[in-house]
Amino acid sequence: MTDTAPRGLQERLEPYLAIIGPLAMIAMIMLFMALVEPARYFRASNLNIILLEAALYMPMAMAMTFVITQRGIDLSIGSVAALTGIIMAFAIKEYGFPAWVAVPLALAIGGFFGLINGLVITKFRVPDLIGTLAMDLVYRGFALVLAKGLVLARFPDLITEIGRGRIPGFLPVPVLIGLAAFVIGAILLRRSWFGRYSIAIGSNPESAEMTGIAIDRYKVYAYVLMGAMAGLAGVMLTGKLNAIQATSAPYFNLHVIAAVVVGGTSLFGGRAYMLGSLAGVLLLSMMINALVTLRIEFFWQSVASGVVIILSVAFYTWLQKKDRDGARGLMSSLTTPDNMKVMKLGGALVALLALLSALGFALSTGSVPSG
Amino acid sequence: MSDRKPIIAMRSVTKRFGGVTALQDVDLDAYPGEVLAIVGDNGAGKSTLIKILTGVYQPTQGSIQMDGKTLAMSSHSDAIALGIDAVYQTLALADHLDPAANMFLGSELTKRILGLPFLDNKKMRSEAERVLLDRLGVRLKSMDAPAESLSGGQRQAVAIARAVYHADLRVLVMDEPTAALGPQETARTLKLIQVLREEGLAIILISHSLDDVFAVSDRIQVMRRGRSAGVVKTAESTKQEVLGLIVGAAEAA
Repeated sequence: MTDTAPRGLQERLEPYLAIIGPLAMIAMIMLFMALVEPARYFRASNLNIILLEAALYMPMAMAMTFVITQRGIDLSIGSVAALTGIIMAFAIKEYGFPAWVAVPLALAIGGFFGLINGLVITKFRVPDLIGTLAMDLVYRGFALVLAKGLVLARFPDLITEIGRGRIPGFLPVPVLIGLAAFVIGAILLRRSWFGRYSIAIGSNPESAEMTGIAIDRYKVYAYVLMGAMAGLAGVMLTGKLNAIQATSAPYFNLHVIAAVVVGGTSLFGGRAYMLGSLAGVLLLSMMINALVTLRIEFFWQSVASGVVIILSVAFYTWLQKKDRDGARGLMSSLTTPDNMKVMKLGGALVALLALLSALGFALSTGSVPSG
Repeated sequence: MSDRKPIIAMRSVTKRFGGVTALQDVDLDAYPGEVLAIVGDNGAGKSTLIKILTGVYQPTQGSIQMDGKTLAMSSHSDAIALGIDAVYQTLALADHLDPAANMFLGSELTKRILGLPFLDNKKMRSEAERVLLDRLGVRLKSMDAPAESLSGGQRQAVAIARAVYHADLRVLVMDEPTAALGPQETARTLKLIQVLREEGLAIILISHSLDDVFAVSDRIQVMRRGRSAGVVKTAESTKQEVLGLIVGAAEAA
């Protein structure tokens, strides 16, 4: 009996692990901040900042959940957001478009860029990693060509309302937009062909093909959705800052991918957790805000995001591993012949680094001012 | 049996891939309510023959008749529309989806809400449960668990349920259904095949296991080097005779 009870518990918890993981990490951050810096972190104005920051990533995380579930990836969303923001800004400021036309236009342009990504991947058969990375350069290049070094600022109320407005006594407008995106995403995932086939394609592409699913078409759909949501993020970013420039949104890609992966959606396809993605977005925003609150230098954010991605992917991979019996003793796994060779290589590299540093310091001629 | 008309009649089917002749003048007859086993060595042309029957390949020469009418199929979906379907050795399941979603994969049931089609998960689930139990006599422990948690035999049942759900299914091709199963599950799958035969389907069973073939089939067609080496009635034959035909030691009468 004692043997079966914990197993049963683990099995029952398994479906919820995706949400328990990020929630546990959120709880840890909250606990840590409650001990270290409670006054500044839990201020209403700071919580508002966290929510506004998270809202920006919510629509993109929703769309990225579908892309990753299909075993895809989109590394161009930051540039798509910047470029659509700039095109919208030009439409409003140069050509006098009304804001209520320019906003849907931005979404449509984003969707069109997504379509290009999807066609590059499905028609030209460029692997998604390289295809979207290359398109990232293209979109960023166009943004720079269009905007030069300009910062386009001061937009109509509708845009700022989308980016940082607030319904009095209720949530900020962008948060509502983000949550609405997730509700739509959850319905799409459970109740539409697109969601069902996204899982099937990611789960087993050959099987999906044999059952007559148009794999390429549904992949294109996912990238179009991704592009449109990146376009929406471009609008929200423009509104939030009331300004846009070609170099905006540099870290969108990895931030969104990190949020989705932290939420339990598998990079190996087939496993989608919409609620997990939402929790992941909140977690990352809380983490970055915590770094800011602790007055840690901005550049550490990039380090933290990267570490979080690696840790969560490794953690979920470990969870998926059915047979954990052999991996009990850390020392015993380190002493397998293969790992011994890796350890020797590692040791040699560390020794080389130490040697070179020692040599450099020994022969040092003092600091040389640059320039 | 001899007075009944075949539902499927393939006549002098030849298939060439470039210069390679995979099939040469092969005939095949399948009757409703009968299990036809196709045996043969690797590369004997079993798969090619079946892929032609299920519309995946088109024959270079020869014809396929169904109920006396000549068929022209250009894809697998044409064959499904005619009531010819196959359960592949790989089963073509999506491991992360539950059994009901797998069973209806590619032909989901929907209902309209506000004029938009939404997947009707509840109905698919109850239909899946009904088909598995009523037609195949299989009850799964959980209809919520993803397919990856099912046993080999249960996965097989889901794949078969997908094929037999189409009310107009008349010919079912099973490619090595027992290859990856243990003894108990093999017995259960063979029983499933018999259940489907009782329902009047024409079953075409490809197998390497002569034990399985002799357990369930009514007739055995032996393929050898792209030709039909002979068709024998299972009840009147022996494993020795069939083995002889497979390796080419004996010529069929």
